[in-house]
Amino acid sequence: MASSIAGVNLTTPAILSKSSDFPKIHPFNFPTLNNPWKNKNRKMYVAPLSATPDNKLSDLVAESVKEAEQACADDPVSGECAAAWDVVEEASAAASHARDRKKESSDPLENYCKDNPETDECRTYDN
Amino acid sequence: MAVCTVYTAQSLNSTCSISTPSKSHLRFHQKQVIFYTKRTNNKTRISTSNNIITCSAGGDEKTVVIGLAADSGCGKSTFMRRLTSVFGGAAEPPKGGNPDSNTLISDMTTVICLDDYHSLDRTGRKEKGVTALDPRANDFDLMYEQVKAIKEGVAVDKPIYNHVTGLLDPPELIKPPKILVIEGLHPMFDERVRELLDFSIYLDISNEVKFAWKIQRDMAERGHSLESIKASIEARKPDFDAYIDPQKQYADAVIEVLPTQLIPDDNEGKVLRVKLIMKEGVKNFNPVYLFDEGSTISWIPCGRKLTCSYPGIKFTYGPDTYFGNEVSVLEMDGQFDRLDELIYVESHLSNLSTKFYGEVTQQMLKHADFPGSNNGTGFFQTIVGLKIRDLYEQIVASRAGAPVTAAKA
Repeated sequence: MASSIAGVNLTTPAILSKSSDFPKIHPFNFPTLNNPWKNKNRKMYVAPLSATPDNKLSDLVAESVKEAEQACADDPVSGECAAAWDVVEEASAAASHARDRKKESSDPLENYCKDNPETDECRTYDN
Repeated sequence: MAVCTVYTAQSLNSTCSISTPSKSHLRFHQKQVIFYTKRTNNKTRISTSNNIITCSAGGDEKTVVIGLAADSGCGKSTFMRRLTSVFGGAAEPPKGGNPDSNTLISDMTTVICLDDYHSLDRTGRKEKGVTALDPRANDFDLMYEQVKAIKEGVAVDKPIYNHVTGLLDPPELIKPPKILVIEGLHPMFDERVRELLDFSIYLDISNEVKFAWKIQRDMAERGHSLESIKASIEARKPDFDAYIDPQKQYADAVIEVLPTQLIPDDNEGKVLRVKLIMKEGVKNFNPVYLFDEGSTISWIPCGRKLTCSYPGIKFTYGPDTYFGNEVSVLEMDGQFDRLDELIYVESHLSNLSTKFYGEVTQQMLKHADFPGSNNGTGFFQTIVGLKIRDLYEQIVASRAGAPVTAAKA
């Protein structure tokens, strides 16, 4: 996808607005393709690539466990204790899903062919 | 025949006629028109030569809504992948949308995650001391309104709960699919939402198995230990028992996952005993049976004709009551180690709603890498998937006024 070529995520705010029935990443003109930050179009902003949440989620899991242990040290039957452990579960589930997704998308050709099975490079032949 | 439905934002479900002078008749950004195709018998015509769309979107083409309830980490995602696979085509996140969207879309189905209806974000829940299992952390009014709207053929702007940031992201547009699956913690909690479901499933994972699964999932995770995994399950248990578990009484099908009884004192949680509890008298749903419908049967397929590896396979089938409802229960203890075991078992079950001999086996082989593909969890999930396809086809057929033909087993 064009957005990931420069290693950054390019998002137009219109994608998330209510009126976008057909969200599409706007095509870029050639000069801005590899220099998206030079684009004068104020609609575009650069955000870190969100396809690498692995470390972020691992940190979140580790942090949330620590927080839960603290929250429960004061009062082990409080709502705060349960809520803190619930965050641990949420983070652990998210980390596990991210791992599964990464496993699936480790082969770029496979991913491309999932979307474009009719192209030449995705043809498979029986002997 | 290709048939389309066009809804305008102002007058939904109304007769409409749209003509565009340009070639791109699919783009109605400015007019807020939602365009999608559906296989129905409605009077609709597309003429690509002069770009005129006329349609009469009647009220009889409704989305079929399926509910799937289970706790976090209990196999909802795997079940969803098996279910969407039965309908053909891979389910993918919405293209070009929020990368952290929880929605999965395929040709036939759209799966939405009910976490998107959290009314409190992560910080809010922490501050108030409320878990996500607690109804106070969820907006059931919005859930009901939006599921109802989709069922009636109206697209909605559904919020997105971001599981990475713990925040509510800007909404995404959900167009009415042929089949909408709502999966999460509370699909059968609110009576109004429950009424909208054409079929409901509850995944009931016993405490022993839940613990074993979470160890498998989390032990490698930094910061986790046996103690933290145990503490998390225990801290969430009061809310789970109060708000999630009671939903199983409303489910049309329950998949119960228990430790095996084939190995004495087994606590590894590797070999599983799985029950498929099917409610009797549910419209468009005929329970699966073994040998003789309504009888009580115990069956060990391993013997002279079929050799199984340790600890073998055991089936039980029979009528029972579940929360005061008449049910049929099919139970499988043990696991499949070879293909001939799977096909042998499939050939002895009836009412599977398969379209050809060996379809269950084929589906299981297709996803041999999914968790549970060698035991009752994968086997029964696949069967429930086929029953849902059958249910959908019966609903469509009855709407079309054609005689309802139940698929042969």
